[in-house]
Amino acid sequence: MNFKLKKNAKILVFSTEKISDPAIDMAGLLKLHYPPTVYTITIPCSSGIKPAWILHAYEKGFDGVFIAADGTDCIFGESCTEKTGKVVSMTHELMKSKEIDTARLRMAALCSVCSEAFVKHIRSFNEYLLKTLHSDS
Amino acid sequence: MNKDKRIIDYDALVIGAGIAGGETALNLANNGYKVLLVEKDRSIGGKMILLSKVFPTLDCAACITTPKVSEIARHKNITIFTESEVTNITKNVENKFTAQITKKPRYVHVEDCTACQLCEKVCPVNVRDQYQFGLIGRKAAFIPFSIANPKAAAIDIENCTLCGACEKVCPTHCIDFTMETEYYELHAKTVIMATGFNLFDPLEMPRYGYNQYKNVITSMQMEREIAPTRPYNTILRPGDGKVPDKIAYVLCVGSRDKTVGNPICSQVCCMYSIKQAQLLMGALPMADVTIYYINIRSFGKGFEEFYQQAKGMGVNFIKGKIAKITEKENGNLILRYEDINEGVLKEAEHDMVVLSVGAKSNPTAKTIFDNGTLKFDQLNFIAQSDLMESPSKTNIDGVFVAGTASGPMDIPDSILSAGSASSEAISYLIQNELA
Amino acid sequence: MKNRIGVYICHCGGNISDYVDVEKVRQAVEHEEGVVLSKTSMFACSDSNQNEMVNDIKEFGLDGVIVASCSPKLHLTTFRNVTERGDLNKYTYVHANIREQGSWAHSDDTDGATEKAIHLVKAAIAKSRYAEPLYTNQFEAEKTIAVIGGGIAGLKAAISLSDKKSTVILIEKNDKIGGHTAEWGDLFMSDEKGNELINRIYSDLAQRENVTILTGAEVASSKGSIGNFTLKIRKRPNNESDPMEIMEVNVGSVVVATGFDHYVPQKGEFDYMINDNIITLPEFKQLVDKSTGNRLVYKGKEINNIAYIYCVGSRQEDGENTYCSRFCCTSVIHTAIVAKKKFKNINNIHLNRGIRTYGKQELLYSESLELGDIYLQFDYNNPPQIATEGKKTVVTVKDILSAGKELTLETDLIVLVTGMVPRADQSIGTMFKLPKGRDKFFNEIHMKLRPVETVIDGITIAGACQGPKNISESVNSALSAATKSYSYISKGTLETEPIVAEINQDLCVWCGKCQEACPFDAIEKQEVNGKPIAIVNTSVCKGCGMCAPICPEDAINLIGYTSEEIMSMIDVLA
Repeated sequence: MNFKLKKNAKILVFSTEKISDPAIDMAGLLKLHYPPTVYTITIPCSSGIKPAWILHAYEKGFDGVFIAADGTDCIFGESCTEKTGKVVSMTHELMKSKEIDTARLRMAALCSVCSEAFVKHIRSFNEYLLKTLHSDS
Repeated sequence: MNKDKRIIDYDALVIGAGIAGGETALNLANNGYKVLLVEKDRSIGGKMILLSKVFPTLDCAACITTPKVSEIARHKNITIFTESEVTNITKNVENKFTAQITKKPRYVHVEDCTACQLCEKVCPVNVRDQYQFGLIGRKAAFIPFSIANPKAAAIDIENCTLCGACEKVCPTHCIDFTMETEYYELHAKTVIMATGFNLFDPLEMPRYGYNQYKNVITSMQMEREIAPTRPYNTILRPGDGKVPDKIAYVLCVGSRDKTVGNPICSQVCCMYSIKQAQLLMGALPMADVTIYYINIRSFGKGFEEFYQQAKGMGVNFIKGKIAKITEKENGNLILRYEDINEGVLKEAEHDMVVLSVGAKSNPTAKTIFDNGTLKFDQLNFIAQSDLMESPSKTNIDGVFVAGTASGPMDIPDSILSAGSASSEAISYLIQNELA
Repeated sequence: MKNRIGVYICHCGGNISDYVDVEKVRQAVEHEEGVVLSKTSMFACSDSNQNEMVNDIKEFGLDGVIVASCSPKLHLTTFRNVTERGDLNKYTYVHANIREQGSWAHSDDTDGATEKAIHLVKAAIAKSRYAEPLYTNQFEAEKTIAVIGGGIAGLKAAISLSDKKSTVILIEKNDKIGGHTAEWGDLFMSDEKGNELINRIYSDLAQRENVTILTGAEVASSKGSIGNFTLKIRKRPNNESDPMEIMEVNVGSVVVATGFDHYVPQKGEFDYMINDNIITLPEFKQLVDKSTGNRLVYKGKEINNIAYIYCVGSRQEDGENTYCSRFCCTSVIHTAIVAKKKFKNINNIHLNRGIRTYGKQELLYSESLELGDIYLQFDYNNPPQIATEGKKTVVTVKDILSAGKELTLETDLIVLVTGMVPRADQSIGTMFKLPKGRDKFFNEIHMKLRPVETVIDGITIAGACQGPKNISESVNSALSAATKSYSYISKGTLETEPIVAEINQDLCVWCGKCQEACPFDAIEKQEVNGKPIAIVNTSVCKGCGMCAPICPEDAINLIGYTSEEIMSMIDVLA
């Protein structure tokens, strides 16, 4: 693959309306900075993400996809964790078949106040993506 | 008296359309009650709508107040009278309240005004703008402030020269000098007093030199200087337009001070001063901000952390009471104070001084009820007849108090107090229906 | 496909426009396909702009509306309503968050923030093209309300709801109601004692036919959502040998009033539990209340000199509890005054970190000074040191009010002024998934303007479970929460969001996987045109979308979040 050198990696975040998106909002409120090339699409629950969406994002040029999962806080029930995990493993299979580095998909459970955790995850993901996709070595 | 009085009927009368009165009106209206909301000013939203940002979230006050205000203004169960005063209330034998209301003319038909500001441009009169706390001027034909509700022009008839220029230029012909004071007699089942507070007038403390030294301003003036709809679009000292770089805050001006008749703590000044200090540090990165305090009272949710954050940002906190302020020729100010931590008298020079003025009771609340039937405490706040069990109850059954009319409080406490008052009022209405 | 879209970009005073070039954003999107109108606004949420939007919708015949401003948590509903006032279906409205996730998050990079805002607005436009009119479903709401916790907040919430003719179920974990208030003894700013206040409220409540009080009872589980919660309650039997009583109740809303725990110092913290002469504030209040006679006696010894060490367990600059507990300064000053008036020869010495008797409580502080109480102030990093010298307890403090002078005081009793901490038992919060703040108390939806509502629809929080409060503040909070809970269901009907799963009947071959995945049993097998397929029961579906990714035929989409919409957003974000 042919990537240009970038200052920041392009990351698509899937957040959830009631749980993880408030945390991302709060990161903004607290002015905890993260790269502006991080874009969020908000959905009701992380277990409703279709693997096809994630693959579409890589195809269109996103370096990474980050699932800000509900974890056990999910308002739709405890099975969310397991089901979001399944979405990730289904996507990993598809990524492998397309020879995409599976580490370009990350998931972490974020509570509604996990702003610092979100920024930490994103920064380290950004570093990883820059190192693996955009370094000149 | 020979007035043309119109008789009107509502379930509830809410006096005062600040954040507490507005919240009370909304709670009642959302449960189907018809509310008359009476406001003496030209806009609803009270003092909150004029603030910059709020502590400790640093939400912009306008951003969170305007939607609330428009929800109130649009609610089908709420009728708003601005520029109106309740002059008398009596309780009759059927347990109903009769209120006399005077609605002053705005000389503008609000529904036709598009807020185009052409009248403002042609008006030849210049007076101090009370909505910017005197920092700048305004016209006699004017829109009170940019996020006022209703957002419509008004004529300040006291200062108007009746030149008629505004009337000629108005594209919708909504300016009407024939409007007259209207008188209403209201019948209501319950009354909620949300008459708010008054800011302490620093002229009562000549040793701080307010109005005498140009670079001594009040905290409310500073609120306006840092608000999004601010008058100067930057922060500067009024004396010479210089951007200040050594700003002092004097806390407890008019609070915790028996000599000015206000022995109590105003509850909000520490926090709003810390907030302003944080905003100033952000806006003027090179500026020094010093807060002179007696005790820092950061007692609410997230407040202590906000105080620690300000310390971390480099705001100076000096435990000391200011004895006197004097002015130098260049407009700078010398503060003489006792540094309590070191136990010595000191002097410090600042180029701008902000007086963190406290909250006092609003005396107009006292004039409303017939024959002083409504009870007040020794500081002229509305007395709470059962502070522990029902904090919004007054000595009159069916009359409730919301927000700072009963004592100083911050915004969340005002909202809770309004929730409490509306809860009692709804219960009262339901109970009385059945009786 | 929408082709008459109006876009509004908000300055938010300067909150957005200080970092994002809003005019540049407007120019970047004004020629996007389908956009016929684009404007910037100082405050998009202001009444005048809302009215302008309503006029624009009508005048320009808009079929889609986008506002790029703050978080949708604040104003999605506001602008949906504006859309509705313009006679457009409110679900055709799309929101772009360029403040919390734009200007504020990237205030360090204005170019980056502007670039991101452009992309976010373009993504909103992409979504808007597909946003179809949707219609809400109405359902009947249960009119009973549950109040969890029988302290002052729970009791007052129950009274307030009962007054409004709601049926109330009050659930208290302990065998007795009254919570901490009942244990307080004398109360500040009141002539009543805590237990008298509780008895007064309880005797009123106990007579009411529409209130059921369950003591020794706990909520074991909760199912459902606003309007229809089913709570399973476990109640300890009156007779210990009887089995646990299990009951199920249906309620429309829940007021959570689970209160606080007292901070209990660790063994050795200020010599607590090492030296017998050291007690906490609640222990001291009990002692003062229960002692009779004109001398204060503790453990057989007359007490004269009392030192109060403030902020124990609160305002820990480097510890867990960074917050101020709000009530303790006033509470201890009041109790010290009571002790001084009730007993002979009491000397009160307050070792504090700045007295916080806010509002009218300041009058108590003044009274205490007039009575001759002594106030010394210490720094967090230089706390008082306690030493036991024979039978004497000696405390040494560096007083910053006298230029850091070290003072040594002989005391008979040391009172650790302990604050409030969140309940150790967090089961109710966990069960309802209530978010917690940094301080671990329950978090409200908005700190300033919505202090009793939570992100979980139908659940309100009352009293000290939301953060430290004194009694009248708790009561105000309880009455506010009761009003909100009552308002949710007082109309008798509620609307459900039309955001539900939709199954493409042509693609579905019924494999049953979606039915397995659905946590709400909202999917049924039905025969349609001779073939078995999955059908969504829209009144039960909550719109989580869990069924969508596992469908092998990709026959399921969540309305409002279809693959078409999401992928078109990805296209423009990339």
